[in-house]
Amino acid sequence: MSTLVVSQITKRFGSLLALDAVSLRFESGEIHSVLGENGAGKSTLMNVMAGFVKPDQGSVTLNGSPIPLGLAFACKRMGIEMIHQHFTLVPAFTVAENLALARLDRLNTIAETNEIASKGLAIAKRLGWKMDAEAKTGDLSVGVQQRIEIIKAISGDADVLIFDEPTAVLAPDEVEDLFRVLRQLKEAGKCVILIAHKLSEVLAISDRVSVLRRGKLIATASIQDVDASTLANWMVGEMPPKRDRETLKESTEGFSVNSLTVLGDRKDVAVKSVSFSIRQREILGFGGVDGNGQVELAECLAQVRTSSSGSMTWLGQPVTQDEPRIGYVPQDRQSDGLALSMSIQDNMLVSGLDRPSLWKGNFIIRSAIWEWAKSLIKNYAIKAESPLDLAGSLSGGNQQKVVVSRTLDNHPPFLVVVNPGRGLDIKATDYVHEMILSARDGGAAVALFSTDLDELYKLSDRVLFMVGGKLVEDAGALSLVGGVAP
Amino acid sequence: MKWLRPLLFPVGLFVILVLTLVVFRLPVLDSLKLLVTGAAGDKFGWSRTAVKSTPLLLTGLGMVVAWRGGMYNIGGEGQFIVGGLFGAIVAKFLVFGSLHVPPFITIPLILIACVLGGAAWAWLAGWLYVRRGVEVVISTILLNFIAIQVLGYACSGPLQEMKKQVPLTDLLPDNAMLPKLSRQMDLHLGVVIAWVVAILVFFYLFRTRSGYRLRLVGENSNMARANRIQVDRTRLLAMCLSGSLCGLAGGIEYLGMAGQLGSGFSQQWGFLGIPVALLGGLHPLLCLGSAGIFGALFAGSEDLARFTQAGTTLVYVIQAMAVLGYVGIKAQLDRRPVVEPS
Repeated sequence: MSTLVVSQITKRFGSLLALDAVSLRFESGEIHSVLGENGAGKSTLMNVMAGFVKPDQGSVTLNGSPIPLGLAFACKRMGIEMIHQHFTLVPAFTVAENLALARLDRLNTIAETNEIASKGLAIAKRLGWKMDAEAKTGDLSVGVQQRIEIIKAISGDADVLIFDEPTAVLAPDEVEDLFRVLRQLKEAGKCVILIAHKLSEVLAISDRVSVLRRGKLIATASIQDVDASTLANWMVGEMPPKRDRETLKESTEGFSVNSLTVLGDRKDVAVKSVSFSIRQREILGFGGVDGNGQVELAECLAQVRTSSSGSMTWLGQPVTQDEPRIGYVPQDRQSDGLALSMSIQDNMLVSGLDRPSLWKGNFIIRSAIWEWAKSLIKNYAIKAESPLDLAGSLSGGNQQKVVVSRTLDNHPPFLVVVNPGRGLDIKATDYVHEMILSARDGGAAVALFSTDLDELYKLSDRVLFMVGGKLVEDAGALSLVGGVAP
Repeated sequence: MKWLRPLLFPVGLFVILVLTLVVFRLPVLDSLKLLVTGAAGDKFGWSRTAVKSTPLLLTGLGMVVAWRGGMYNIGGEGQFIVGGLFGAIVAKFLVFGSLHVPPFITIPLILIACVLGGAAWAWLAGWLYVRRGVEVVISTILLNFIAIQVLGYACSGPLQEMKKQVPLTDLLPDNAMLPKLSRQMDLHLGVVIAWVVAILVFFYLFRTRSGYRLRLVGENSNMARANRIQVDRTRLLAMCLSGSLCGLAGGIEYLGMAGQLGSGFSQQWGFLGIPVALLGGLHPLLCLGSAGIFGALFAGSEDLARFTQAGTTLVYVIQAMAVLGYVGIKAQLDRRPVVEPS
């Protein structure tokens, strides 16, 4: 029997307090779920326990002896295994080769591969999984890849198994099967720890549950003692007040989406047949935990990603390349919004490619662009000396202002905004929010995607939540975690 | 101290030059004198420098366009050779055929063929990347080898001179070559063409819509994609333009200097374009300077080679050291401070 005890773990990332003196106890022979919103600290806590992150303070003990903090390989040897959300498999290897990687220290020649893998294959058989040892891993479905990952972990005689959102990538029947295996592991005396944010699944599988919010442990409880709404309230805390909004009398039909399905990067179905409409002069907020299809839906609305089925209309007409004109503020300004080693002016120009005043045929009018960039810097209070400064030299807030200003200056009738306030200080956030609100008041239909509930309720006229690629109605804290069916 | 930076390159290069001479145990002052007189001592020296720097400039520009577009084309050599081959094919029909086409038509047609040949060779690598994800660095290097082999085959096979004695193509008559300033010097029209092209490339990259898109894709393809710029198409364009420039370099070497193709047609001009582009800071106009300096080194070391055993090896050593130094310094200058995660 083994017990993993976390005591007084504190971890800071810069000014962010990711974990604030968290103490927890995980017992063998039980499934213990850790719940929390994005950024609540669950992943950091798991990474501390598995040795991937070294905490600033506190200790972790396994059966009374302290684990080497921040040393992942040593933790592995002590029997703590983490099954990551992003698999650590080699796609070009066969299943057997990937299984053999679990015992890399004993793998001396290629000939031993199958010998070492056979243990894993035996475990697979015991768990009721059929594995083709010679299949190429990259060709297998996500569900099967996860099984390989799990087998890799248990074939090393691990006592503690940490699963990072294992159901996120699985189909419903695969989830059922995973749960069956988790219970089997529990019966075998393993200590199973589950990071999750789908309440229904947590309630179905866990023995105990702990809730983190903003780096603090809120509560730990046996599953019999809690219900969905209690857990949701623990996770979210106090819901931000809903804004009173005068009824949208003047608004007219704007952007409509009808049973839209969008595939993700791995050809998985990220958005599942959603329908909604956004009127002009309206902000429709899309809430939910990261990774539930928001980015894919946003990219599809912005016509950066194609849909696999369904239709989109603008003012009753099918959407085309040119109609409506779209303003898109992507989620990550550094990776998708800006070219950091180009000048501010060049970064703004991307939204000015179709501005007649900046071009003479296909040639740039340098002075016009300079003037335009200067006016944006002035009108949107961007702190920069000159339009020729590099975008990378600006602070986060000013970088975001560059993205938002160039987008809004085109007065797009349809605006798609993803997490506009992420990583900004209060002043910059307020400013960006004001800009979005005034675009709305100027008549734009706005799709706002935000994982920050405060932002969502502050800006949106209506709110929907995305859970597993589907839309659910706003029903307070519960909707964030998919407690309510659409 | 910032104003000193432009001086860093010439001073650094000079230091490297002197150090290399010392290591090679050459008399420093005499050698420098030989280098300078060889490269710029009289009009013949200047002519040599200009002629040597021309293919360097064009392949360098080719690298600039591709690298600005985020495509690390290392295949200038292959594109140079295939460009020359396309030119030789056209020459075989127009100049040596029974058609009797006048030179003012054959010269532009041959050059256009060279441009298309280089573009096609680079397009292959671009297409492999866009469609199949094959790294351009690898595919272009491999395509270089293929081009070299094809050149060897063509010169001793279908394109071999009419007497079938040596593995060379037919030597172009003087009137089918690019016009020269005087009979005693190598200085030819291609030098001017290269300078004009450098200015055109500058205008393309920094003053046109298409050039802007190309730079944007190179700087941040995610951002380009989020703004609905067709990333793959732009990358293919960057490769084709790059190949065109390298092919043109081959054409100008063919019509300006060589007059015929053989296995030694390219003296690594395609590879040497890479240091030219790097030291030119990937800027077309600065490449005029870096190509000029390397051209001068080649021209000057010809005389040096007559007096010492070091020969052109010296130039390659200096070039390599200059590039290494440049890359090292640039990496140091470009270091960004650690940013806290948000």
